[in-house]
Amino acid sequence: MTLVELTDVSKHYGTVRALEGVSLEVHPGEITCVLGDNGAGKSTLIKIVAGLHRHDGGTLSIEGEETTLSSPREALDRGIATVYQDLAVVPLMPVWRNFFLGSEPRKGKGPFKRLDTDLMRRTTREALLRMGIDLRDVDQPIGTLSGGERQCVAIARAVHFGAKVLVLDEPTAALGVKQSGVVLKYVAAARDEGLGVVLITHNPHHAYLVGDRFVLLRRGTMVGNYTRDDITLDELTQQMAGGSDLEALRHELQRS
Amino acid sequence: MFDTGAFGAAELITGPFRTYEHGKKGHRLVARFRTWAVMALTGALSMSLAACSSTGGKRAEDARKAAAAQGRAAVNTPRWTFAMITHSGDGDTFWDIVQSGAKQAAVKDNINFLYSHDDQAQQQAQLVDAAVDKKVDGIIVTLAKPDAMKAAVARAEKAGIPVVTVNSGSEESKAFGALTHIGQDETIAGEAVGDELNRRGKKKALCVLHEQGNVGHEQRCDGVARAFRGTLQKLYVNGTDMPDVQSAIEAKLQADRSIDSVVTLGAPYADTAVKARSDAGSKAEIDTFDLNAQVAAELKNGTLGFAVDQQPYLQGYEAVDLLWAYRYNGDVLGGGKPVLTGPQIITKDQASALAAYTQRGTR
Amino acid sequence: MSTAVDERILQSSPLKKLLARPELGSVVGALAVLLFFAFAADGFLNASSLSTVLYASSTIGIMAVPVALLMIGGEFDLSAGVLVTSSALVSSMFSYQMTANTWVGVGVSLLVTLAIGAFNGFMLTRTGLPSFIVTLGTFLMLTGVNLGFTKLIDGTVSTKTIGDMEGFPSAHALFASTLTVGGVDFKVTILWWLGLVVLASWILLRTRAGNWIFAVGGNQDAARAVGVPVARTKIGLYMGVAFGAWISGQHLLFSFDAVQSGEGVGNELIYIIAAVIGGCLITGGYGSAIGSAVGALLFGMTSKGIVFAEWNPDWFKFFLGAMLLLATLLNAWVKKRAEANK
Repeated sequence: MTLVELTDVSKHYGTVRALEGVSLEVHPGEITCVLGDNGAGKSTLIKIVAGLHRHDGGTLSIEGEETTLSSPREALDRGIATVYQDLAVVPLMPVWRNFFLGSEPRKGKGPFKRLDTDLMRRTTREALLRMGIDLRDVDQPIGTLSGGERQCVAIARAVHFGAKVLVLDEPTAALGVKQSGVVLKYVAAARDEGLGVVLITHNPHHAYLVGDRFVLLRRGTMVGNYTRDDITLDELTQQMAGGSDLEALRHELQRS
Repeated sequence: MFDTGAFGAAELITGPFRTYEHGKKGHRLVARFRTWAVMALTGALSMSLAACSSTGGKRAEDARKAAAAQGRAAVNTPRWTFAMITHSGDGDTFWDIVQSGAKQAAVKDNINFLYSHDDQAQQQAQLVDAAVDKKVDGIIVTLAKPDAMKAAVARAEKAGIPVVTVNSGSEESKAFGALTHIGQDETIAGEAVGDELNRRGKKKALCVLHEQGNVGHEQRCDGVARAFRGTLQKLYVNGTDMPDVQSAIEAKLQADRSIDSVVTLGAPYADTAVKARSDAGSKAEIDTFDLNAQVAAELKNGTLGFAVDQQPYLQGYEAVDLLWAYRYNGDVLGGGKPVLTGPQIITKDQASALAAYTQRGTR
Repeated sequence: MSTAVDERILQSSPLKKLLARPELGSVVGALAVLLFFAFAADGFLNASSLSTVLYASSTIGIMAVPVALLMIGGEFDLSAGVLVTSSALVSSMFSYQMTANTWVGVGVSLLVTLAIGAFNGFMLTRTGLPSFIVTLGTFLMLTGVNLGFTKLIDGTVSTKTIGDMEGFPSAHALFASTLTVGGVDFKVTILWWLGLVVLASWILLRTRAGNWIFAVGGNQDAARAVGVPVARTKIGLYMGVAFGAWISGQHLLFSFDAVQSGEGVGNELIYIIAAVIGGCLITGGYGSAIGSAVGALLFGMTSKGIVFAEWNPDWFKFFLGAMLLLATLLNAWVKKRAEANK
């Protein structure tokens, strides 16, 4: 069963070709990595899957059904949760309010319908613990957490709300080695919960640690689509760095 | 270290400060800046010492104040507290004159005089409330926005505090239960202007309203229109923006050459109208409501035609004095009618006598 | 292990929670001002004086509360001051010109005022222009319309009195009556004010809309990405300000019977100042309704305290400015301490 399948998808902004002929598969319990340098079209791809932009060409299928996503809300409703690198959370709000933002549980009737704050606090703590995150205090502003912790809360949040597909936009980009490791651990945890994960990154080492499938983008086109068996880390790194480009660069930088 | 010898004197002065600052570029800049500052300061000081004015200025003002401070109570009544609450905005010259009248009477009558003001009706009413809470012995209030002040004045009556209304509200004063009203009837003042314009043979006049929404201003212009036999046009300008006032009047004078007189509703605007007139190359006569030093001077040299004064000094002075008389003797002035402090038409002939009074801020 | 963590939180919780409250700085400031005037001004602590202070505070507070909510939502409303006047004018002129029961005018005014609020929000979310520009435009337009319409319809710059019209007494009772409690007169606006504070606090802290308000002010893009209806929230906030303006406007009308069309200009800044003194972050995402109420109280105490202390009112703005700076600094300091304690 394929959760999300992109076939030959393209996207143009006016005369600018942002994406051309990209295909991608997301399976439950697997991690599909999208690799590419800056400007390769990663963020356009993410916006199409997250429902922020519509694709122009090709097909997007969710659970085998061809469709077009018109809003982030629709994507969420169909089980696709996206965690953005920098805008995942509202820093000044407490962790538990962030956790339930946009999907707040309520109790009471009519005008006295109110947030079920006890449930929200308790659930936040439990959901985080299940992912292996032990927070001292869910009442602290989420801005006081480290970058890695924030990503983890966002991932736990997606898992809790029954996402089938988790799209992660450069979750390790701004993090140190240790923090990146922690985040990758939670990405793996989400996979083990049976989610299909799309991991966008420009770091082949991180991708190869957890990835099952690898899609390589360069200047808006797909330059490779491999399963883990097809490719080694060295080949991936080579491909990612742009192969012949890197050779040229090495030549250029050589001491004369 | 310094480029020219001209810095010699300043270097002497800053010398001791600079000794430990040698060798560093930043410090040298600081030293140079200090040199400049000291030079500027000594320059200004020596200039003010050399060119000492024998007239006006701070010294004359101090002398005047010293004379005023010598005034002491002429009565032996207890020290009552009177509060005056006006609809004035911040920093209004007209209300300074009212205040100076009130203060002078307060000194004479042994009164503790309090002044507060707010140009928003609701806030002014709250200030009256505060005065009532303070249990003052008398309240002087303006009724520029009578509806808004009604409840607050009634509250003062209920608390047994006598109220005198000043400046605006001649129609409502009695109904609100005030002892008396001291001020100028704006319509009558307007009519006086209209009559004077007739006397001068004017045909087409412009009434410049510098505060949109002020009922008193509308009444003034309407009064002018009622008595004036020629045609009167209204021109609304933004009174807080003088260049805007000037350009608006200028444009109007350029557009309509037949305008032969401009009536401004406040003294500061008369001078602006004069500038607009000369820029527009118009020959219209400028006349104005109210008085200040500038207007008096311009009346004297013939730049302005005439001014109609409501004698703000009297409004303050009489209000305090009448409250005192009521407290002391139960006296009430006016016989149920407003006590009018204006209009008084002032032309070139009277202006020279008034110049000294406007200088000291009582006319 | 988790039980040990919980115990530690329980121990430090009350003090830490108190320190983390956004309104703490303003409460400390208000106490200081209260003490100051209690000593400096005779009769400041009399029941009737305090009632006057509360009245002055309530007329600001009724608007400061929704303005604070809007500020938490990350936006300004510069039209708030004149909107109060507009609301009163609509109510008064409709009743008078149509010779209708005053309650009809009050109802029409509510609709018109809410529509103006919705217009502000709609323009903001549709055009993406900063709220400073959008509401500055509305502010200027309303200022002109207030004067122009009143002049056009009534011939003068203030409206005709509606004090003798049907429905006036009951409307007066609701918006502008005086209640006597224990021999002291209290204006009904104080109740409106308190009611709004309770309502706004409930919305902010206990409802989904409150969560959205914090979110759109704190990080609009993140909020949108998780499905928060950003545009709807903001339009709602502007309509909240309009609702406050409606209450204030009706109070203005029914306490004075007639309305001056040129008033209200400049008050929008006072509401914003009250909200900021009360701990609202000017960039949005942080603040409280109670804080704005305390800010309004501080404002009321200062403006009337100066009268009681018999000071020269020329200095009022200076005190206000100093107070604003001090309150904001205190806030920043308290917030820093609170975060350092974590």
